[in-house]
Amino acid sequence: MTENDANADCVHPIMLIERNTILALCVGRYIQISFRLCCSSLASVTCCCIDTLKKNSDLIADLFVPPLILYPSFSCCLLAPPEPHITECISRDQATFQCWWSPGNFHNLSSPGALRLFYINSLASEWKECPKYVHPNRECFFDNNHTSIWIPYCMQLRGQNNVTYYNEEDCFRVENIVRPDPPVSLNWTLLNISPSGLNYDVMVNWEAPPSADVKTGWMRIEYEIQYRAGNTTKWDALEMQRQTQQTIFGLHVGKEYEVHIRCRMRSFVRFGEFSDPIFIQVISSKGSTFPLTLVLVFGITGVLILVMLIVSSQQRRLMMILLPPVPAPKIKGIDPELLKKGKLDDLNFSSTGGGLGGPPTYATDFYQDELWVEFIEVDAEDAGTGEKEDNQGSDTQRLLDVPQPISHHMNIGFSNAVSFPDSDSGRASCYDPDVPDQDTLMATLLPGQPEDGEVKTSPAPERLLIRTQTAGPQTWFNTDFYAQVSNVMPTGGVVLSPGQQLRIQESTSGTEEEPQQGKEHKGSEDSEEEKEKEEQFQLLVVDPEGGRQAAESNTPQMFAPPSSPIPGEGYQTILPQPAETEPAATAEDGQSPYILPDSPQSQVFARVADYTVVQELNSQHSLLLNPPPRQSPPACRPQHPLKALPSMPVGYITPDLLGSLSP
Amino acid sequence: MMHGTIRSVSCVWVVWVCLFFCSSVTMVGAAPICANAQGGCHVLSLANLFDRVIQHSARTHGISNNLHTEFEQYFMPSKNHIGRVSRNCHTSSILTPNGKDNAQRMAREELTEVILKLLVAWRDPLWHFHQSMAHHHDFNNFSSNKALEMSNMVHELHKGVEKVAEKMQVLGIISNTVSSLVSPEALLASDSSEWRPMRDYDLLYCFRRDSNKVQNYLKILKCRIIPEHGC
Repeated sequence: MTENDANADCVHPIMLIERNTILALCVGRYIQISFRLCCSSLASVTCCCIDTLKKNSDLIADLFVPPLILYPSFSCCLLAPPEPHITECISRDQATFQCWWSPGNFHNLSSPGALRLFYINSLASEWKECPKYVHPNRECFFDNNHTSIWIPYCMQLRGQNNVTYYNEEDCFRVENIVRPDPPVSLNWTLLNISPSGLNYDVMVNWEAPPSADVKTGWMRIEYEIQYRAGNTTKWDALEMQRQTQQTIFGLHVGKEYEVHIRCRMRSFVRFGEFSDPIFIQVISSKGSTFPLTLVLVFGITGVLILVMLIVSSQQRRLMMILLPPVPAPKIKGIDPELLKKGKLDDLNFSSTGGGLGGPPTYATDFYQDELWVEFIEVDAEDAGTGEKEDNQGSDTQRLLDVPQPISHHMNIGFSNAVSFPDSDSGRASCYDPDVPDQDTLMATLLPGQPEDGEVKTSPAPERLLIRTQTAGPQTWFNTDFYAQVSNVMPTGGVVLSPGQQLRIQESTSGTEEEPQQGKEHKGSEDSEEEKEKEEQFQLLVVDPEGGRQAAESNTPQMFAPPSSPIPGEGYQTILPQPAETEPAATAEDGQSPYILPDSPQSQVFARVADYTVVQELNSQHSLLLNPPPRQSPPACRPQHPLKALPSMPVGYITPDLLGSLSP
Repeated sequence: MMHGTIRSVSCVWVVWVCLFFCSSVTMVGAAPICANAQGGCHVLSLANLFDRVIQHSARTHGISNNLHTEFEQYFMPSKNHIGRVSRNCHTSSILTPNGKDNAQRMAREELTEVILKLLVAWRDPLWHFHQSMAHHHDFNNFSSNKALEMSNMVHELHKGVEKVAEKMQVLGIISNTVSSLVSPEALLASDSSEWRPMRDYDLLYCFRRDSNKVQNYLKILKCRIIPEHGC
């Protein structure tokens, strides 16, 4: 119920908003209502206020409100009407009541007796005059005899000459206008003080107003206590109370509180006046213990927080100290899975390769079961970027431990070549020949392909690749694919050496040991090879004994441009010249490392001993260091290296041993 | 295993709680209230009875107040008090004391009878009011429920006041002239269809007044008979 129970002039009405219509109802005895419509739209919070003046209290039946108007606010304000009117009627004890009036702007009627008050109720048949006037107050007092509850009364003012000032709103029932007097004898007692000495509780008690007849049960009253701290303006209200006492909890020591009380009839809305306030204050008597307790409490809290901070910040260290991690068994380079499987052979093999840094990536297929093998992966998407080039250079350098300037052009050209899946490398002829890949592979394996671009008949991609070669020193390129095996240890380990300025002879001066057929075909098929699109990979044999310097020093000497470009060829196998190098290892048999080409074209064997390129893998996963002759179908070496060379490290073929291998 | 233990424990706990609450409920008033303490029924004191009845009437009045306010919001009736002055509630035929003095001067039996008459007169109208509210789409379920509650409460209040009257008669506080049968006036009021043409709002207006009357009279009666507790 939003009936006004205060003495304010303006109150909020009951609102009913339906779509664009606002209905507002001011309940109460208002003579004249002013509605102020303040609106704010979403866009701007401005207040457009419309003042309307109405006579009756229930109104604004249809005030159209545009959409997007938010927060309209209404207020019913009691405007003093100009004509004489009844100001208020109040009953204090539900047995009597009083009414006050005002002459309004009619000052000539302000003299006592100028206006007379008349009333009527359902018991009476006509208007009767006020039973008792209190003129100084412009008040009319209705005593017990003239007061009847539960029946409507209506008031009227009459001036001279029977001029009547009557408002329909001045009708009421006595039980609805009851405002009890404020309770009396308000006092308080201290209940207890908290152990910390900061808070305390008080018990407030009072008595019912004497005018309200509670004893006979005629009036049932409930009370409301409000209190506030001395310096605040907002009152705190406690729950309605039917007893004549109430406890206020949680007051602060040292503060002064103000308490007052009012009451109303149960299940009615109008409150009576507030009582005179009383003041509550408790001064702390404990001076010494108070700080001590506080200090103790805060100290403990602070220490706890500190400890927690330390624990949380040093969590890891504490965990290490308290629960040190148990190291798991681990051998570098060996996959524990292999140990479980019991593949000792693979294990050995992998251990050697792994220990030395990993074989070239073109052997991915061969090593695809060995996860430990680290391959330098070429990212196909990054082809052509300079960054890639740098990566390649860095990878190469890392691998070969040699600063390797890689020509841009080469890389650009070969980037396309690079962009083939690693898994294809080396796998070529044993499976479906993937010509472009092979070509690109071949191209990539041509670091020093004819700079002069003589090779014209090479397959298109390769041509492209070749053309893009600069005349710069042929540097190692795409060494990411493979590492140069410079030496094969007797124990089976492979020594990788950086292939600095490795020049791959374009000449076919050096051909690797290969099967007899291949050898024969080598020279004669040189010319044919160019036409062939199939891979013509040749192995570049690295001198097992040769050191880096040897290779480097030899290379320029050995280098001889091929008389006839052999585009189809991959690498020329360049055999190390034993004369220039140290004596071969004992492990190597006395086979001549050379494979002297029959063709006169064969030139000096360039000592391109920095790497061995495995061109392909056959179906049995054996390394093919020489591409098979083109006439023959891709000849896969049926022999497993393992079987062929039991004495050699598993899976590795040294150039020396190639000769022993027969297709 | 743990599950079983937990289950059994919780079962036992639930049973124990049930027993506890059931026992407390029975202690409160599961036993039938009887006028004389025989047959193992629980005897309530008159003061206790009065308190219950007064509480009930206070609650009824509160609900009627709320509903009346809601009606005002919805319908905003014209405050034609003059018209209302002449308008009668269907219970106007029942003579009720209109002031404190009159109420205090009235005999207890008369007062009790007045209360009973009022309550009887409102049984049917409230029931129909609830029905009409339920069919009225303007009201939400909350209001409709309140109307139903009001109707039920008046019914119970009537029974309660009858019991109080019985008890008082047994105790000799009032004479046996108060019969449980309704007086002809009340019968007239309830049987007549005076209340039918009344609009819902007027019905509420009248009932709000009458519930306040009942509450008042009960309190007066109680404080006159048993002034000790809470007067």
